[in-house]
Amino acid sequence: MSAWSRPPLLFPVSHTTTEANRTGAWRFARPVFRPKTAPCAAACPAGIDIARVEMFAARGRLHEAWQTIARENPLPAVCGRVCFHPCEAACNRAQLDAPIAINALERYLGDAALAAGTPLASFDAPDLGRKVAIAGAGPAGLAAACFLARLGVSVEIFEAAAEPGGVLRWGIPAYRLPKAVLAREIERILALGVGLHCNRAVDQAFLAEAAGRFDAVIIGVGFSAPVRLHIPGEDRVADGLDFLRRVQTGQTEAPRGEVAVIGGGNTAIDVARTLLRLGARPVIVYRRRRRDMPAFIHEIAAAEAEGVRIETLLAPVGVAADAGGVRLTLQPMRPDQPGGDGRVRAVPAGQAPTVRHFAAVFSGIGAEVGAFWHRPADEAETLRLSHCALRLGQHPIAYVGDPVTPANSVADAIGSGKQAALALHTLFTEGPRAVARALQDCRVGPGPAVSLEIYQGAERAGRASRTVAFADINTDYFPVAARRHPSALPPGRAAATFDETLEALAPGEALAEAGRCFNCGVCNDCDNCRIFCPDQTVQAVRDGRRIDLDYCKGCGVCTVECPRAVLEMEEESA
Amino acid sequence: MRQVLEGSHAISEAARLARVQVVSGYPITPQTHIIEALSQHCADGTLAARFIPVESEHSAMSAVIGAAATGVRAFTATSSHGLALMHEMLHWAAAARLPIVMGEVNRALGPGWNIWMDQSDSLAQRDTGWIQLYCEDAQDALDTTLIGFRLAEAVNLPVMVIIDAFYISHTYEPVDVPEQAAVDRFLPPPNPRFRLDPADPKSLYPMVGPPAFMEMRRSLQDAMEVAEAALAQAAAAFKTEFGRSCPPIEADGCEDAEIVLVTTGSITSTARLVVEDLRARGERVGLCKLKLFRPFPAEGIRRVLGRAPRVAVIDRNVSFGVGGIFAQEIRSALCSLERRPPVFSYIVGLGGRDVPPETIAEIYRSTREAAAPDPESRWVGLNPELMGAAAR
Repeated sequence: MSAWSRPPLLFPVSHTTTEANRTGAWRFARPVFRPKTAPCAAACPAGIDIARVEMFAARGRLHEAWQTIARENPLPAVCGRVCFHPCEAACNRAQLDAPIAINALERYLGDAALAAGTPLASFDAPDLGRKVAIAGAGPAGLAAACFLARLGVSVEIFEAAAEPGGVLRWGIPAYRLPKAVLAREIERILALGVGLHCNRAVDQAFLAEAAGRFDAVIIGVGFSAPVRLHIPGEDRVADGLDFLRRVQTGQTEAPRGEVAVIGGGNTAIDVARTLLRLGARPVIVYRRRRRDMPAFIHEIAAAEAEGVRIETLLAPVGVAADAGGVRLTLQPMRPDQPGGDGRVRAVPAGQAPTVRHFAAVFSGIGAEVGAFWHRPADEAETLRLSHCALRLGQHPIAYVGDPVTPANSVADAIGSGKQAALALHTLFTEGPRAVARALQDCRVGPGPAVSLEIYQGAERAGRASRTVAFADINTDYFPVAARRHPSALPPGRAAATFDETLEALAPGEALAEAGRCFNCGVCNDCDNCRIFCPDQTVQAVRDGRRIDLDYCKGCGVCTVECPRAVLEMEEESA
Repeated sequence: MRQVLEGSHAISEAARLARVQVVSGYPITPQTHIIEALSQHCADGTLAARFIPVESEHSAMSAVIGAAATGVRAFTATSSHGLALMHEMLHWAAAARLPIVMGEVNRALGPGWNIWMDQSDSLAQRDTGWIQLYCEDAQDALDTTLIGFRLAEAVNLPVMVIIDAFYISHTYEPVDVPEQAAVDRFLPPPNPRFRLDPADPKSLYPMVGPPAFMEMRRSLQDAMEVAEAALAQAAAAFKTEFGRSCPPIEADGCEDAEIVLVTTGSITSTARLVVEDLRARGERVGLCKLKLFRPFPAEGIRRVLGRAPRVAVIDRNVSFGVGGIFAQEIRSALCSLERRPPVFSYIVGLGGRDVPPETIAEIYRSTREAAAPDPESRWVGLNPELMGAAAR
């Protein structure tokens, strides 16, 4: 064996760290960590931070997911059942496969919080020493009460009925919204310190008296008068809403045989499905086409599956007494050019009216304002916001709910109550001139809804108002996955009971469904930015990610690999 | 302990016993079993190493380069197209003087697609600065891998341990697997001469211009020049610990042979049978098994073959336009001698074609009967029918 010595090593090594070479100087564009608004949140009338809700839910952090909902909407288990979920129509995921089942997830989280007995966060606001009276314990009044209480305002609700809830209590049937669920979500609002006085109808005398005792009054009594048909014999038509109310208070009787329900909205559907459960054979009679029915598509489908018949292009023109029931005269209609509201009008088709015998006729065409003072007068000093109106005089009055909302939905009512609460808080703390601006500043992206979290200046206040488009999503990270559906009672069984027709998502299904969410514009700590940065310039900080601009060369890899458009490139200014 | 192992697992067992700290790799037939076994060990906790999954062999080599630069013992394995894809980083690993060990399973490159034995892949990397060690069987593969780590760390050069596709990689043989304690004595934890250290941040390998580049390359050549002696020392230590030899060139009966056959890889085992048979019939035939190809052991070749009347080199590879690569290198080593033995060059067994004893016997016969070597390598066993078809 020949002797050998260690061979030389000759290669270059720097004398010091290369940190001295600030390669960030090469950059002409920089990545910016900029959380954005998800389209679902902008579409939600209650302004829920849905993308973040699903982000928490997908990670099994159900408590935080629920708190994120409840911060903006104190009725998650209710809305998870009855909301018309415009969020899902706006969901970017629809362009990949199918929208996230946001509504079903809201119910899942709402039910989980009820089961756990989780209270609403009070946010420990200091007592402002102000008192507000709220007329009406419907969703708008309850929401206003909740948000005012959270902002340190004393609240008392005056409700004409024996129990709170309004349309949720009296209008929506139990098979869509079990009353125990409603009662427990209302209790939770009252637990914030809200006073409730039932059997206390509010009238103008009360308003005059309240002006002295309260710093402001909120009027949220909803629509209390049925819409009239204006046809001969109308007194023989039963009021559908009144029928639903009586069923809630224990009525179990319904006419036998074929019953006509006039209308095409959700009230008509609710009346028909309730009649069916009480043994009648309901037929919905609608003046326009089926596709023009304002009721939710899934409600129409459920009604038909249960056995409700729907006849369209028939307008009621007269009602008369008949042996064992009524004679309903129906005019065949045909669709015509759209009217001023953009909806296709129906005009008589030219055929002669037909006369049909029914055991009874119910109207299900909704309700309208019950008294002139339930809505704001056209006064110059009235500030009109998207979902409420404020009379900012010496005795401020806020109008909320159906008379002032663009759509008459539960979510719109909640958004309305919240808007009024934030407006009154600003009025109390900063004066009347600050209200419009403050409410503008806490809007969720370009949508009309306002956010308590943004109003409070918390994390969400840092989001850009721009909504994330489907094209902004890096879909490489999202394999196609089927949407999860809650199971439903078989229609035959559903039609025989007031048990809830839809079941909750199973736990594993719920988490998997939440995991389908793109989390548009909301960082979920996936850390792709940090992993892919070739220069290790991305650092995790408390509220997101920081880019070390001394070394970031502006390659943009992080913005491409961010699946959810939180990071974006911005040109360097010269 | 004696175990029945396939050749791939002889290498992975050696890497496990060497307590490698970082393993990276990308699957390719017929190498996959090596990396698969090590990733399983990492997953099971039977090897305290970090397995870095990557998307290509180029990245696998990059990953072990990064790891080795921090001073840890790093291992990878590949074959054929995978090795070709690593080519750029092979140069880098060597000039960066990183003691990486790589298992390399000889396999043909396409087209046509062929997963079988052929030395063209590793020989195409002969100029990258890697030490190349060819193995005859599974035991040889295990021993060579262990020695490879010691050699690599002694001279700061990467080492390729090369086995035949299927003939070794997928064939089960009895293998003596040493005890961990013995391996730990033979192969203590790495003691790197340099390493990246966050406590003393520096950048390795920045730009080197014309004033220093030649010197940097000369230092690599210097390392190669001592590598053969370092291998001998490692092999001696190995023999002390485990009792088995692992010479760079093994000569069997070459001193008085009329014809010496030169072989590499598993063909050596086949040739041993043929040589035994020929000797029994009175033929004077020697066998020279070449393990070390880079650095090329020219001195040893001259010593073993210099006085042989005839040398027949069996190449399972081809350098197109020249011929068998081992023959070419052996001729080059012998050409400085005053009296040079004629070197007969044979090309056999490309793309996994079997090389049975009859083929080696035919090579012997042909070498004995020829007046002088052909000017070019002779391809043994071509199918005349196919060749005729090609001509048409």
